[in-house]
Amino acid sequence: MKEGTDGTADRSVRETYDHIAEHFATTREYPWPEVRSFVAAEVDRLGELDNAIDLGCGNGRHTQLLAENGASVVGADVSHGLLKEGQKRASEREFIARWVCADASRLPLRSDQFTTGVYVATIHHLRPRSARIASLDELARVLTTDGQALVSTWSTEHDRFDETEGFDTLVDWTLPGGRTVPRYYHIYDPDEFQSDLDKSALDTVKMEISSGNCYAVVEPQL
Amino acid sequence: MKESLLDIICCPIDKHDLELEVDEKDGDEIISGTLTCPECGETYPIEDGIPNLLPPDMRDEVTA
Repeated sequence: MKEGTDGTADRSVRETYDHIAEHFATTREYPWPEVRSFVAAEVDRLGELDNAIDLGCGNGRHTQLLAENGASVVGADVSHGLLKEGQKRASEREFIARWVCADASRLPLRSDQFTTGVYVATIHHLRPRSARIASLDELARVLTTDGQALVSTWSTEHDRFDETEGFDTLVDWTLPGGRTVPRYYHIYDPDEFQSDLDKSALDTVKMEISSGNCYAVVEPQL
Repeated sequence: MKESLLDIICCPIDKHDLELEVDEKDGDEIISGTLTCPECGETYPIEDGIPNLLPPDMRDEVTA
């Protein structure tokens, strides 16, 4: 995989996920408990869910969770292959969602329209850092002024990493048959993640570490 | 995609509203077609009912 500009890197991540989409989807069955908790908190906060965005929706497990909790959901992902898995999931499990192939740092979505956002396990695939911060600015732009979102990233707090400062790495995905496909990750350290959130147009409502991931509940700066 | 998605999406580059041209429909579901930004002239394909709104520098290679 080439080192280089964000365009090059993002194409590589997209191609990787297009390639592994079907197998990846079979291993991404259930919503994460942290996302379940956030969605439950959103139902409490709003009374009922309204328009929601699942950014980096993958095969749509959290898109489904949002839809089943009453949201009108847009699932956005860079990989057409994963979006097709999402479409298939929606048709098999009878939930309604709208799917858009998009770059998280240049969203093709109008401003000020989502009251709830989920942007989990995605920002760590973007590079360089300016693209990651741009994606946080884009999230702030598409949220309504009273909107909130959950942002998560893989972090140095995970048991498999010895590093204490954020770093770039490639993590292999093993396909059935044993062939591996590398995926780019920026593994954040928690202070660095907070610093990138602070540089963006988002305010942090709360931040926690769970299962080796950093989770931030955020809202647009007013 | 349904035509109502036009109320939500925009050009990823200049955030302008998009114009729709339909090639194939199944009921009210648009299966294939083209979205055009009248501001910058960029076009975005709809494939398998999914609008591909990646900026042009990210979709110049065929997907796997």
